[in-house]
Amino acid sequence: MIPALAHIGDSTAVRRGRTRSLARRTADAIGSAISEVLENDRVASLPGLMQGLDPRMKLVSIVLLAVVASFVHSIPMLLALVAATMLLAAASHVSVGSFSRKVWASAGFFGLLLSAPALTAWITPGPVVVTLGPLSITGPGLVVATRLLLRVATGAGFGLLVVWTTRWTDLLRALSAMGLPDLVVATLAMTQKQIVSLLRTVQNMHLARESRMLSSGSARQNRGWVVERMAFVARRSMKTADDVYDAMLARGFSGAMPSLIDLKATGRDGVWLLATVAACTLVLLLDRMVFPL
Amino acid sequence: MTAEFVLTGATHTYGAGVCALDRIDLTIEAGQHVAIVGANGSGKSTLLKMLDGLVFCDGGEISAFGHALTEDALEEPAFRREFRTRVGFVFQDADVQLFCNTVFDELAFGPLQLALGPSEVRERVAEVAGALRIEKLLDRAPYTLSGGEKKRVAIASVLTMRPRVLLMDEPTNALDPRSQVWLLDVLREWKAAGRTVVIATHDLTAAAESCERMVVLSEEHRVVADGTPDDVLSQRELLLAVNLIHEHEHRHGGTGHTHDHAHGHTHA
Repeated sequence: MIPALAHIGDSTAVRRGRTRSLARRTADAIGSAISEVLENDRVASLPGLMQGLDPRMKLVSIVLLAVVASFVHSIPMLLALVAATMLLAAASHVSVGSFSRKVWASAGFFGLLLSAPALTAWITPGPVVVTLGPLSITGPGLVVATRLLLRVATGAGFGLLVVWTTRWTDLLRALSAMGLPDLVVATLAMTQKQIVSLLRTVQNMHLARESRMLSSGSARQNRGWVVERMAFVARRSMKTADDVYDAMLARGFSGAMPSLIDLKATGRDGVWLLATVAACTLVLLLDRMVFPL
Repeated sequence: MTAEFVLTGATHTYGAGVCALDRIDLTIEAGQHVAIVGANGSGKSTLLKMLDGLVFCDGGEISAFGHALTEDALEEPAFRREFRTRVGFVFQDADVQLFCNTVFDELAFGPLQLALGPSEVRERVAEVAGALRIEKLLDRAPYTLSGGEKKRVAIASVLTMRPRVLLMDEPTNALDPRSQVWLLDVLREWKAAGRTVVIATHDLTAAAESCERMVVLSEEHRVVADGTPDDVLSQRELLLAVNLIHEHEHRHGGTGHTHDHAHGHTHA
């Protein structure tokens, strides 16, 4: 997940300002998203548990935990893993409230969408618990949907922990060190930069409009303006892409993006990795032996 | 002196038939500091891009270091490497130029493209970062920097390639006064070091302070004057005609005054 994308649409300013104009609400939401992107770097620099780890070790261990979560069947074990993400967040100076909101707002929504069909008797037959018109929700369906939802939330939680506790620059270095092609890493770096830059442009457009408006305008006018501005931003982003490519050519770009990576793992990283492997093994054993299917 | 660039009747037209440069004749000698001045839209940036092999002639021709500068020539790896090593381009918008993950990566990008070894790349980055006083920024992401810092990093990212020709598009744009003074000092150091510098600007003050030669582009995209800054700036009618200065009337007490007014706050 690119950090800049992780913050779009997560503005308390939007919820607070229902009576304000569309321009002001949007500008505030974007301003808030930009602040949070910059805040991300601050949180990643705090002396927390996960911030102190080598980004490569962190990535490997978190991917391992997320994969293990996808093999866990029992709901108590999945709940324990969700709790583990929160404990890790707290130990890394990440606000547990904000972390949980972010996980459940995104993973919860998509998880629910994905798992909703499994609730019904059509997909998962069994004793009916509730009937909603033509839909019959079954007991086994509820278990399947809850399991899917918790797996998605666990994976998203671990993923978000990596993004929030690792500076974007270090994360890309780690990905590069782990064999992701340099061109892909460079594209991700540029994407993050471009999102921030375009967010600033869109924010200024909304503020410029508000500064010249005497009323908040009708919903139809607002929608028309937003669509027209979206087209403008799309054109501008294509022009910027051309300019960036020119700037790359000017500095000798010939298709390859070599980089120098300077990452060093310590004994602490080794201990962390061993502890993660042990925890994963324990989770799988408990899942199979204490909570068999 | 030897010629670094020779343009003969160079013309460039953008896709929709919009003329950007019209039959430009220009020779830039080694070690010269040249200011290309003109109003917005006169073709200054296009001319710099042509000198950097980013846009090409539709008519006429351009040569660099004695070789024709064409798209085909730049496809040849040996010439491209030599040309890109010799010529550095600082873009007007630093945001466009800073596309890497960190400032360190930004400074290392050019040397790595030249296939230099890791130790030499690190040495160059450290040397340039020290000279431009940006060591503390090396670990930061470029999008978190201020405007002045971005400009320094953009210049540094070009200097690590040790070019002998520097092209700079509106170098003083968006710089605070202290950073502008710093930049003018840097240009003086490059002059002393014998580097060729071509800047495109509509800031006549910066152009006059940093260059010994001034080339004026008209709004019709042609070269209409070429001489020392003193020669060019003394041609009031010409500067008015190319929209580089305008008459500005204001009052002191009860008396009205009319000045010629230029970008960069020069009163002639």
